[in-house]
Amino acid sequence: MAESIPSVFEISKILGRLKQFFIQIGELSFFARRFFKELFSVPFEFKELLRQCYQMGNRSLMLVGMTGFIIGLVLTLQSRPTMIQFGAVSMMPNMVGISIVREIGPVITALICAGRIASGIGAELGSMRVTEQIDAMEVSGTNPFKYLVVTRILATTLMIPILIVFGDLIALLGSALVENLKGQVSFQLYFNTVFDALSFGDLIPATIKSFFFGFVIGLVGCFKGYYCKKGTVGVGISANTAVVMASLLLFIVDFIAVFVSDIFYEL
Amino acid sequence: MNYDMNKDTPKIKTNEHQKSKDNFEQKAVIRLNNVTKSFGENHVLNGFNLVLYEGENLVVMGKSGSGKSVMIKCLVGLMAPDSGYIEVMGKEISTLDRQTLDELRSDIGFLFQGSALYDSMTVRENLEFPMRRHRDKLGIVKDTTPLVLEALENVGLAHTMNLMPDELSGGMKRRVALARTLILKPKIILYDEPTSGLDPITAKEIIELMRSIQKKYGTSSLIITHDVDCARVISERMVLLVDGINYAEGTYSELSASTDPKVEAFFKK
Amino acid sequence: MANTKLENLRLGIFVVLGTILLLIAAYLIGNRQNMFSKTFEITAVFKNATGLQNGNNVRFSGINVGTVNGIEMINDTTIQVRMVIQDNMRNHIKKNAIASIGTNGLVGSMLINIIPGEGISSKISPGDQLLSSNKIGTQDMMSTLSITNENAALLTADLLKISKTLTNGQGTLGRLLNDTIMANDLHKTIINLKNTSYKANATITNLNDIVGQFNFKESTADVLLNDTLSGRRIKNVIQNLETTSSEIDQMSKNLNLIIAEINDGQGAISYLAKDSLFVNQLERSMQNIEQGTERFNENMEALKHNFLTRGYFRKLEKQEKKLNKL
Repeated sequence: MAESIPSVFEISKILGRLKQFFIQIGELSFFARRFFKELFSVPFEFKELLRQCYQMGNRSLMLVGMTGFIIGLVLTLQSRPTMIQFGAVSMMPNMVGISIVREIGPVITALICAGRIASGIGAELGSMRVTEQIDAMEVSGTNPFKYLVVTRILATTLMIPILIVFGDLIALLGSALVENLKGQVSFQLYFNTVFDALSFGDLIPATIKSFFFGFVIGLVGCFKGYYCKKGTVGVGISANTAVVMASLLLFIVDFIAVFVSDIFYEL
Repeated sequence: MNYDMNKDTPKIKTNEHQKSKDNFEQKAVIRLNNVTKSFGENHVLNGFNLVLYEGENLVVMGKSGSGKSVMIKCLVGLMAPDSGYIEVMGKEISTLDRQTLDELRSDIGFLFQGSALYDSMTVRENLEFPMRRHRDKLGIVKDTTPLVLEALENVGLAHTMNLMPDELSGGMKRRVALARTLILKPKIILYDEPTSGLDPITAKEIIELMRSIQKKYGTSSLIITHDVDCARVISERMVLLVDGINYAEGTYSELSASTDPKVEAFFKK
Repeated sequence: MANTKLENLRLGIFVVLGTILLLIAAYLIGNRQNMFSKTFEITAVFKNATGLQNGNNVRFSGINVGTVNGIEMINDTTIQVRMVIQDNMRNHIKKNAIASIGTNGLVGSMLINIIPGEGISSKISPGDQLLSSNKIGTQDMMSTLSITNENAALLTADLLKISKTLTNGQGTLGRLLNDTIMANDLHKTIINLKNTSYKANATITNLNDIVGQFNFKESTADVLLNDTLSGRRIKNVIQNLETTSSEIDQMSKNLNLIIAEINDGQGAISYLAKDSLFVNQLERSMQNIEQGTERFNENMEALKHNFLTRGYFRKLEKQEKKLNKL
């Protein structure tokens, strides 16, 4: 009897968590549905969209570039000895190129952006909610969902793929630099080999996937910020949970994308 | 139990406003009838009634968390009441579609508790923001500068036009927020705790501003506060919000002289 | 306002650049799959596609000229592979070219190699079917290699046995190799043979000179000129000498080869090790050679004392002495 009470308590706690999780998923789905509904209704907040695109795209380029460069560098340095052991060091550009374009580039860039953009949106919208700025917008006749949420989700959906393209390129440049210094492989040969190894089966799913990454980052950031709890603590929680949830969803989306593209491309 | 108490109090009740309307031949711009709103187990509004007449300054007083803010948000459609009837300028809020609601909102100014200036915009952009969707109301405006300047001059802050909100002091922010509220020349202004978080001198300045604006534009004002000084200076009529209902109603002097313990609690120093 | 314009400009550059990069990547990939150049299609039939995939390269004499764009099973032993080839290759690939499946390096992806056929043939045209050779793939190569390896292992074992018996002095070659006296003898014999043959050669040239002088210049030999009998005899002797010396030369060369082979331990070893008969013959021929050289020496000595050539030899000795004195 004494033992059964805490166990019942535990189960109810787990069930409560599970319930909370499904509520979150449900709310997020409604939020996404509202996004699509408002996306195609006039008026369109074009100026704000451009501003957000600039904030998210150009302002993240430095960060994404640096991360990409280091990832390319490290990936090449780390896998070189193994490839040498196999006597397949001439396959380095193929291996690094495919892994960067297919997986590492998009995922790393998206994770970096989840850290920078999703938390930024979460905190910004959260504090706007707490200080009643969102209410103020609503009262002044501007639909805050359209003005704040739609523009931001759209901006991430459009900007993340471009950031990923830059991230991929810079990562490949980093990798090519290592190959050039350590293996005397010219840049031309490196990129020739990379593009020889790549096919549309690598590029197209990765590009489509990156749009979903962008959408997830924007959606989760806005969702967490828009429904922020009152108080400064709420803002912190919004920013924090936005990053956690966005990162988690990114991996789930990535898994689904790989799964689906596997079916389509039979690779 | 509440009803018993209501009977004991001298000035009250739901039918009272009907009489006063006839007396002063005034037009009601806001009318709340039996509004209820609850968050879970917490019944914030419990059959609240209120009438705001054109051109008057009405103060609603209540303790923190008594549902003043909820009530005022229901007025502009930021929240929907659980039940009850809310009418603003002859239109029932809950029946309006988005566009009509927005049009109606352009006639209502709302001064938020924490000023609610947009952090990412300059003062000028803050003031221009309400004009984005309400151009029709002001006619075709090519240059917004004179309008912005006029609104800022009303609050005495014309020089701050290109500053960011975080470069302003709390009192200045409040005044800029007031200017933003005024820019669309609303017929009704709702003040949510206009003096909260300000020192007494700045609070007095804000109250003076509110009075001068009311005189200048002839707006009707609904002021929510728990600040007795503010209420005394500005109120023409007062409503006390207690336990989710309009507990007592009257002028400042009438209510401050009341012997009802719940009313007395407000005026105790 | 100006600030916003600058931001929009930067954003524009960012977006356009990103899109262009993506398009370049797509173009480069597509270009390698011959999506944007004029192409034509040919086929080849194989028994085994060995892991060939759509998009694998097609090479003509080692240059990438196209890609595989279809692999179809026609029946259980026939696989038809369709290839897209760049249009500008139409002039170079002939109808008799041969297609085979290979790999790009040992672990690289599969590809189709087209090799020009021999002889003259007309240019290829779209839809043609190339001849194919089912070259061994890496796997076949590996299996062959493993068989070779097994054989090599067996061979080494055999060799080990042979070398053991050799070092133990068993068998004739063992004897031959281990018998140092005999080896020394052999060495000496060969040196002698060399010397002899050199000398013989020299003698023969000298004799030739003498004979020439007999025929045309020397008056002192006039007597002999009419004496045809003596002349013939001398000629015979010389001819004999010539054949003998050339035979000796040949023999010594052979011997040299044999010795070299024995020393290297290559080639003839296994042959020799088992052929005791050859060794016996070798021994006998050694004896014969020794006898032959002795006889030759005797002949030479006799020639020196012959009245006809005695003068010439004396002259030679004098000249030598003069040279020594000088």
